[in-house]
Amino acid sequence: MVESDGPLVMAKDMAKKYGDFIALHPLDVEVHAGEFFGVFGPNGAGKSTFIKLLTGQLRPSKGQIEVLGVDAVADPQKVKANIGIVPESESPPSFLTPTEFLEFVARLRRVEDIENKVEHWLDWFGLNEKRDTMCKDLSKGQRQKVMLAAAFIHKPKLLFLDEPFANLDPIYQRKCRQWLLDHVKEGGTIFLCSHVLEMAERMCNRMAIINDGKVLAAGTVKGLKINQEETLEDVFIRLVGRSIEDVEGHDDTASTDGESEEE
Amino acid sequence: MSGAHIASRDWNDVAEGKPVAHTAMGTSPQGQTLHEPLRGWASFSATFLVMFKEEGRKSMEFAKKRQIVLFPLLLTLITALTTVGLQFLVGGSTAQVSDIEQKTFSWGELRFALHLPLLMFSLGMGTFAFMGHDAIVHRAGTKNYLLAAPALQPLPNSVAHFAYFIKDLCFYVLLILSPVIAGMALGITLESVNGLSTPLEWSSLPWTWLAMIITLGQGLALAFLGSALWMRGRPYTIVGPAVIVIFGVALGLGQINLDGVLWGLYVQSNQSVLVTAAALGGCVSIGLIASALIVDDFDVSVVQREEMFMPIYNKLGFLGDGEIRLIVAKEFVDLIRSGSIKKMTVSYAVPLVVLLGMAWLVDFAEAPIPINLLSYAPFLGFFGFNFYSWLTILDSPEFMNGLPLRVPQLIRAKVIVYFLATSWISLIFIVLMAWQLDEWPSLPTSIVVMFANSIYIVALTAFLMGLRPNKAIFDASIMIWFWIGTVLPLLGLFLLSFTQGDVSLYGNWWERASQDGLAATATMYDQSMVERGYKGMLMISVGLLFASALLWKLMDRRWGKSEFSN
Repeated sequence: MVESDGPLVMAKDMAKKYGDFIALHPLDVEVHAGEFFGVFGPNGAGKSTFIKLLTGQLRPSKGQIEVLGVDAVADPQKVKANIGIVPESESPPSFLTPTEFLEFVARLRRVEDIENKVEHWLDWFGLNEKRDTMCKDLSKGQRQKVMLAAAFIHKPKLLFLDEPFANLDPIYQRKCRQWLLDHVKEGGTIFLCSHVLEMAERMCNRMAIINDGKVLAAGTVKGLKINQEETLEDVFIRLVGRSIEDVEGHDDTASTDGESEEE
Repeated sequence: MSGAHIASRDWNDVAEGKPVAHTAMGTSPQGQTLHEPLRGWASFSATFLVMFKEEGRKSMEFAKKRQIVLFPLLLTLITALTTVGLQFLVGGSTAQVSDIEQKTFSWGELRFALHLPLLMFSLGMGTFAFMGHDAIVHRAGTKNYLLAAPALQPLPNSVAHFAYFIKDLCFYVLLILSPVIAGMALGITLESVNGLSTPLEWSSLPWTWLAMIITLGQGLALAFLGSALWMRGRPYTIVGPAVIVIFGVALGLGQINLDGVLWGLYVQSNQSVLVTAAALGGCVSIGLIASALIVDDFDVSVVQREEMFMPIYNKLGFLGDGEIRLIVAKEFVDLIRSGSIKKMTVSYAVPLVVLLGMAWLVDFAEAPIPINLLSYAPFLGFFGFNFYSWLTILDSPEFMNGLPLRVPQLIRAKVIVYFLATSWISLIFIVLMAWQLDEWPSLPTSIVVMFANSIYIVALTAFLMGLRPNKAIFDASIMIWFWIGTVLPLLGLFLLSFTQGDVSLYGNWWERASQDGLAATATMYDQSMVERGYKGMLMISVGLLFASALLWKLMDRRWGKSEFSN
């Protein structure tokens, strides 16, 4: 089979509007095989909308989206069938056990040798003891592990992760991070959304910073810094239009205003 | 390898236009073999059984396992007793005979009494498109359901909804219809054990079972279709209720044959394999059409809104300054912002409009009972149950666990919201009804009866079922209390209402019935019975209001230590 060297993900003029509110301004994006691409931004910047549009969970208000050679607007099912998605806040179905949910997902995704794959991922995430507990009775972190396992179970080459480690303990954060890095080394591709900048420094080849639904800057982690002293956090604060003083609460004007409002 | 590229423009820099299917943009799977997603039957079969399991667990979460098992047993027992009692209602004739000479009630009337409530029940339970939308909207909360799975998984939303429809149908067949048939079988068996006689025959049971499945399936499918159309917005949100009202009126006028409308009734009367297969196929087909109308739309609107909470809060000064006022304001914001207020108001008002249309156009002179304004008043309480149930699923209340609030306060707030949101509809309805029936003297009493019932039924529902009325229907202990609490007073009111209105049309029905039972004959009209009936109704209504106040007080004892969860 002759492989094309085209990107895995491509969108042109992709945008989303809810009523009068523009969640995402039109943007073009390309992500290639073997990349660990991160989109970072403050809360409400449009990161989750971005990932939901690319994965066929939302229909764009404008533009075209193609993933793995499949039109994500015309056939979102096929896109979902061939990628892995870890959502930001969605839990697994409350009244199924982790085992049942993974079996359900594996069946929908035509995974072979379902029993062993489910066993493997339950074991990998340390969920063996909770395998027969309904998901509603799991902790937030355990529910997040189930969602991660559901995204990994068919070992998709392309993974979309939205704040994937938000509720994980440091041990599993590290374990997952290493798995994802190995996955990329083996030819996998990852599209990540987060506001945790540490992840960009540790994992991403390339990154973009967005705010108010617009891309403010993009490039390599090093390339975004003005100088070596500048931290990625400084870059982020600078790009979203805030000052360090304001963020740390030393901005006298802002503070006085706040107090007068309180009064 | 070329690196990722990303750039954005201002919204206005890109021309408007709907996204369209296009020619390839040049992406590639890079050697990954792409799977086709499961579609059609394959995706249905992968989903159905898991949904069935989920439903069982959902029901068991509220009612304990023992109560779930008790519920079908209770149904079996009640049906067995009813089966034995059939001889007193229809005489000794068997169910097989189609032209039974009427002794008291005809078999046709009994069949109708079996299928109509079943249809009403299934119409109330089948709004799957609304449920699916709610599941999608709430999937980021602490509770998530398989119905929301299509948002993330390669599962068509339409298939998930169809699987849900079939799952619900099977669940109700197992938990409600089959125990009813088992009860009938037990009733027939009792005949051989102790000589009790029942006119039912063994051979009628499979047909009754099939006919009931068809009625249930028809109601679920029609409600599913209605909700799917409603979710598509205008013009369906206007045309839909209008069609229902026209249909109800046409039915009342006798323009539409009841057998043609209640497919299950037709199947039971004709017992034809072909008709049964066609009716079942019809139910499944309506379900399929409804499913096909469900789109893969997982948008959770984030439209910015104007401040609504404080303006509503300020209007609720009559509730004092306590927590209840705050919660009621929050509930109203939920009701309005979720868009549920329209569909809930319409679903509350449509049955009333149908009743009104029937009162307007139907000549009740041929009816076996003297229906009047006061007979309609107790009906309203039952519509209140549905409204309250919807109020409890608008939003997850779990965030309240961290606030200085208690579950009884939220329950009370929901009862108040119900009353404030629906009382004006009920009032308009009863005034229009009085005008139509020209029974103005009965209006004040009817208003008292109507509000007493309405408040009582919702207070009883809230007291017994708390924040989970939808999950309580399979809890045997709760349903026993609910039946006792509703059937006795409502039956009393309904029967006493026959002593009022233009009773001269029917003779002194109540007196005849109370003296001679089902063998009653016409006697002279008696004014003293009217007065006694009137007083009786007022006394029951005052009793219901008193009971509501008691339940209101007892709410703390029953739900005071519960956690916020629906």
